[in-house]
Amino acid sequence: MSGSPEHELIERCRKGDEAAFRELVDQFKGLVFALISRSVPDRSRAEDLSQEVFLRLHRGLPYFRGESKLSTWIYRITINLLSQQRPDLATVSLDDTAPGGDRPRFEPCGADPAFGAMMLRDRLDKAIQQLPVPYQVLVNGHYLKGLRYEDLAEALNLPMGTVKTHLHRAKRQLRRLLETEFR
Amino acid sequence: MRCEDIEPIVEELADGSLGADPARDAHLASCAVCQARLANAAAIHSLLVSREAAQPPAAFTAAVMARVIRERWQSEQAIDITFNLAMAAGVMLIVGGGVGLAWTSGLLAINLDFTAVMAATSATVLNRISSQLQTIVMGAALLTMALGLWWWAEADPSI
Repeated sequence: MSGSPEHELIERCRKGDEAAFRELVDQFKGLVFALISRSVPDRSRAEDLSQEVFLRLHRGLPYFRGESKLSTWIYRITINLLSQQRPDLATVSLDDTAPGGDRPRFEPCGADPAFGAMMLRDRLDKAIQQLPVPYQVLVNGHYLKGLRYEDLAEALNLPMGTVKTHLHRAKRQLRRLLETEFR
Repeated sequence: MRCEDIEPIVEELADGSLGADPARDAHLASCAVCQARLANAAAIHSLLVSREAAQPPAAFTAAVMARVIRERWQSEQAIDITFNLAMAAGVMLIVGGGVGLAWTSGLLAINLDFTAVMAATSATVLNRISSQLQTIVMGAALLTMALGLWWWAEADPSI
């Protein structure tokens, strides 16, 4: 990474260059805010937490050794912050064998398709917030433009090949939640 | 193929990451439960794909920078307070040590007319510096201004 624009930006930030840190915030604020606001429904709270991500980043700059990409580090901070908000959802349960139920109950669309889709979107948001934080970030991040698969894998401490498996597990949990609690 | 075999791979089927399998397709074509599960998974997948990313407010970067500056100022304040306390402790230690030394060496027991000594000393000092009084006053004014500027800069968090 040495000599890359990212490395140069970090070095400038480390030297206390405020313009450089502003540039860094501008570069990543969209991703951080989008990720957090999908897990935290309250917009002002999401904004506060997103700002906190960058504050932690600023505090940690002197200790950042550049072994991983900046984006990976940012996702890691985001995951840690979200996990602290919901300690009960901080880890992924290995018990993924819960039965899917005899009969799926939720209906993707009702009589009015637009209304049905809106209701489902609302239930989906609530169900995502019930997932373990690493799964929330995986599901939310995977469908965000600009988020690289390998950064996500590194941030979640998962091998690249396992990310897809976990993504399907996360979506399965989501479907089961929608078929049971949120139907 | 049974429903229990289909259920764990419904998500892969819904997002198209699995290829065709005649046995599986035959089961899906005839099983209402698996069809419903697949419809649910497909609905979730398409909703996730179509969700729009929330945009941060326009003043987001400015708000972060304000918090960064405030935090840095607070940490500088903490350093200043610690430094001032250390200085005060040092001065107290030196004064206390001096008094202790004077006490143990018997200096405090010497009986002098303190007022007369001070008056004589002041007269001598004034006599000596009277020719440089203007320079000293200018120096004192400059020092006061510098201290005033320092105090003002320390008191204003925006600087």
